[in-house]
Amino acid sequence: MVFAHGFGCDQNMWRFVAPAFEESHRTIVFDHIGAGGSDLTAYDADKYASLDGYADDVVELCRGLSVTGGVFVGHSVSAMIGILAAKKAPELFESLVLVCPSPRYLDDYGYVGGFTRPQVEELLEFLDTNHMGWSQAMAPVIMGNADRPELGEELTNSFCRTDPDIARRFARATFLADNRADLAGVTARCLVIQSSEDVIAPQEVGDYVHRHLANSELVLLDATGHCPNLSAPEETIQAIATFLRGPGGE
Amino acid sequence: MSDTAVGSQALDVDDLEDLFENAPCGYASTLPNGRISKVNHTLAIWLGHPAEQIVGRRFLDFLNIAGKIYYETHFAPMLRMQGFFNEVALDLRRADGTMVPVLVNAVVRKDAVGGVRFIRITVFNASDRRRYEREMLEARRVAERATVALQDLNLTLEARVAERARALDRAWRLSPDLLAIADAQGTLLAVNAAWTDLLGWEASDLVGHGFAGFTHPDDLEPTRAALGRIMTAPLVEPYEYRLRHVDGTYRQFAWTGAFEDGQIYATGRHTTVEHEQAAALVQAEEALRQSQKLEAVGQLTGGVAHDFNNLLTIIRSSVDFLRRPDLPEDRRIRYMDAVSDTVDRAAKLTGQLLAFARRQTLKPEVFNVGERLHDVADMLDTVTGARIHVVIEIPDEPCFVMADVSQFETSLVNMAVNARDAMDGEGTLRLRLDHTGTLPPIRGHAAAPGRFACVSLTDTGTGIAPDQVARIFEPFFTTKEVGKGTGLGLSQVFGFAKQSGGDVEVESVLDRGTTFTLYLPQIDAGMSERPATARDGEDFPMGDGQCVLIVEDNVEVGRFATQILEDIGYRTTWAANAEEALEKLGADGAGFDVVFSDVVMPGMGGIALAKILQRRIPDLPILLASGYSHVLSQDGLHGFELLHKPYSADQLGRILGKVVPRSQD
Repeated sequence: MVFAHGFGCDQNMWRFVAPAFEESHRTIVFDHIGAGGSDLTAYDADKYASLDGYADDVVELCRGLSVTGGVFVGHSVSAMIGILAAKKAPELFESLVLVCPSPRYLDDYGYVGGFTRPQVEELLEFLDTNHMGWSQAMAPVIMGNADRPELGEELTNSFCRTDPDIARRFARATFLADNRADLAGVTARCLVIQSSEDVIAPQEVGDYVHRHLANSELVLLDATGHCPNLSAPEETIQAIATFLRGPGGE
Repeated sequence: MSDTAVGSQALDVDDLEDLFENAPCGYASTLPNGRISKVNHTLAIWLGHPAEQIVGRRFLDFLNIAGKIYYETHFAPMLRMQGFFNEVALDLRRADGTMVPVLVNAVVRKDAVGGVRFIRITVFNASDRRRYEREMLEARRVAERATVALQDLNLTLEARVAERARALDRAWRLSPDLLAIADAQGTLLAVNAAWTDLLGWEASDLVGHGFAGFTHPDDLEPTRAALGRIMTAPLVEPYEYRLRHVDGTYRQFAWTGAFEDGQIYATGRHTTVEHEQAAALVQAEEALRQSQKLEAVGQLTGGVAHDFNNLLTIIRSSVDFLRRPDLPEDRRIRYMDAVSDTVDRAAKLTGQLLAFARRQTLKPEVFNVGERLHDVADMLDTVTGARIHVVIEIPDEPCFVMADVSQFETSLVNMAVNARDAMDGEGTLRLRLDHTGTLPPIRGHAAAPGRFACVSLTDTGTGIAPDQVARIFEPFFTTKEVGKGTGLGLSQVFGFAKQSGGDVEVESVLDRGTTFTLYLPQIDAGMSERPATARDGEDFPMGDGQCVLIVEDNVEVGRFATQILEDIGYRTTWAANAEEALEKLGADGAGFDVVFSDVVMPGMGGIALAKILQRRIPDLPILLASGYSHVLSQDGLHGFELLHKPYSADQLGRILGKVVPRSQD
């Protein structure tokens, strides 16, 4: 069972969810390139200009770990990375769990993505200018976190650490992507987890994904926001576990 | 203690509320579902909404779209994971649509069992900090752009340097001049291809060798000196010397160069052709001068021929009278004197004509202008003819100039001819020397300091039209009809004046006349005054039976010379040519006291004879006679005494008396 984190964080995203499946599955968490403890020197701007490059990494990783017929759990952009990986190597995954997925963030004719192009440009601009106010200000805050040494230690090493430059490029690859066509032909069973009041992946998008994935189920959580795996880990675990038990399993 | 305790108690009640509401930062609390439950006055003011309208909404509702995404992807996850999240830079949207840059801190407050009670959000106004950040970012962008620009510039500069290097390399390879780099000792370090083209040497023949090995031996010392000078100052004025071609001949090059950074950089221009052209130009100029002079000679010849006829008439009629047997002695003496005087005048005329026509190179010498004017005055008479009255005004004081005498005389003739033609053969020509003059501004040229000899010729002719005055000195400009003049005359005057550091000015009034003034710079020398020649009629020592070998191919002249010499006390032997003379003289010239030889004869000639005798019999005096002064002007007199033909008995006797050793009484 492979857990893939989304844009903005690293494998720590799954710290409240993945342990719940350790007994039933071999669980794998990893960092995308540019995040957490990944090898930044392996970054290739051309390869990672689109989500394909990240999907190739997933395929390579899973083959390296001899994953077959497994479960792929992807949050946000990693949901689409999982779709791409599954199409590249269908033998890897029997099931795909898509947490807050979006095949296209930009609105299009007859399609609601949730964002206009100027809004995405504004986001990219924001990320270009904000890393100094955030990343650099973060380090001393984290380092000085003396009253919670166990957390501080972890954060100091890799907690949600991202390389600002790669993060910017990842944002571009993410928010300008259009993988709607890739939804067709996915053979694995899919679970679409849609949370309430998600400004990044609104309800319409979750519905769209569900409609276009042949073998899919949709679960609407009570949890709000884009990160139910953090804000509502129990509800998220419940949805995944139910799905894994199979149709009619509950 | 109790006072303080009472004060603290009072603070807790009112001031804490005031501090919360009016602190210089915004406070908000949100419930676990993200809805805002409490907000302070400061944040409400910043957001532009009443506090009650803020309560119940989500914090991210007040963010722009980027902030919303950032909140969801970074802020919220971090807050969930670590329980707090500090120093996040966000923009809050106010009620009026404007944005407030803020820094947001958030901390999760939990209850006793670990459940989330609420999230406390603290908001700092970061307008200043954000502006500072933007400035920092902008500065960094500028720096990045500058770095890129600098890299581009470096690349451009490298490209330019490479391009420059290629251009220099091309210039080095393609230069038609010799280019060389040498060390301080003159050893060649690099040479360009022109060396091979012009001198035949390959670079490998030259590099590593000193320049001296390729330098003409005669040029070596001055070239070494020039090399020494280049060490202290760049060689700007070209220095010329000869370099050996691979075929052994020499080529001349004009070098400039400089000593920089321990090396000599030099460029040599091939000037052999220039020198050949310059020599050709000198020849051409000389030919031009000669033709200008012949033009003047042509003008003179007519006058001289006319005068000669007059002189011959006097001689003829005198001789006719002398044939009369009953001629009284006083008449006989008068006719004899008339013949003698007339011959003197004729000799002077031909002498002047020959001297004038003599071919010679331009050779400035110091001479007294007044004296030369006197000497040529008679000649000018023959040029102008009898109906033109020549008036000469020459001061007694000597007036020296440095110029070519022949050219000076030519220019006088040319001006006189011009005056004669302007007067149509009748009028007055005033020839005047002013030795106190200076050079005025002429034709735009500034006046020159110093004293000038001003020789002016003023005629009473028709004058020159103003529109033609400017052109009269141009070569081949003439107003004369065909056959009357070539137009070279006045251009010769102009050329001579300029070459001699002077000028020529013309002033003319139509129908009144024209004045040409020749300005020549005066010098102080009194050195070149010609030695006074002995005058005829004075006593001279008679011969004392000394034996004279007369060498003369012309029988008449030989007979005449024999007659004269015997009349004045010498013995004579006659040889018809130089070869015969050598035979008669034998090895030691025994029996002869002096040799009197014509110069121009068939065979070896008088000068060759004189040279042989000078070597063979050094003590034997030699006297030469010639009517062709150009022979002697070319070859020189070689120290021999010369008697100009035609000569008088007096002249012959006087010069023989000088050269023939007297018997010791």
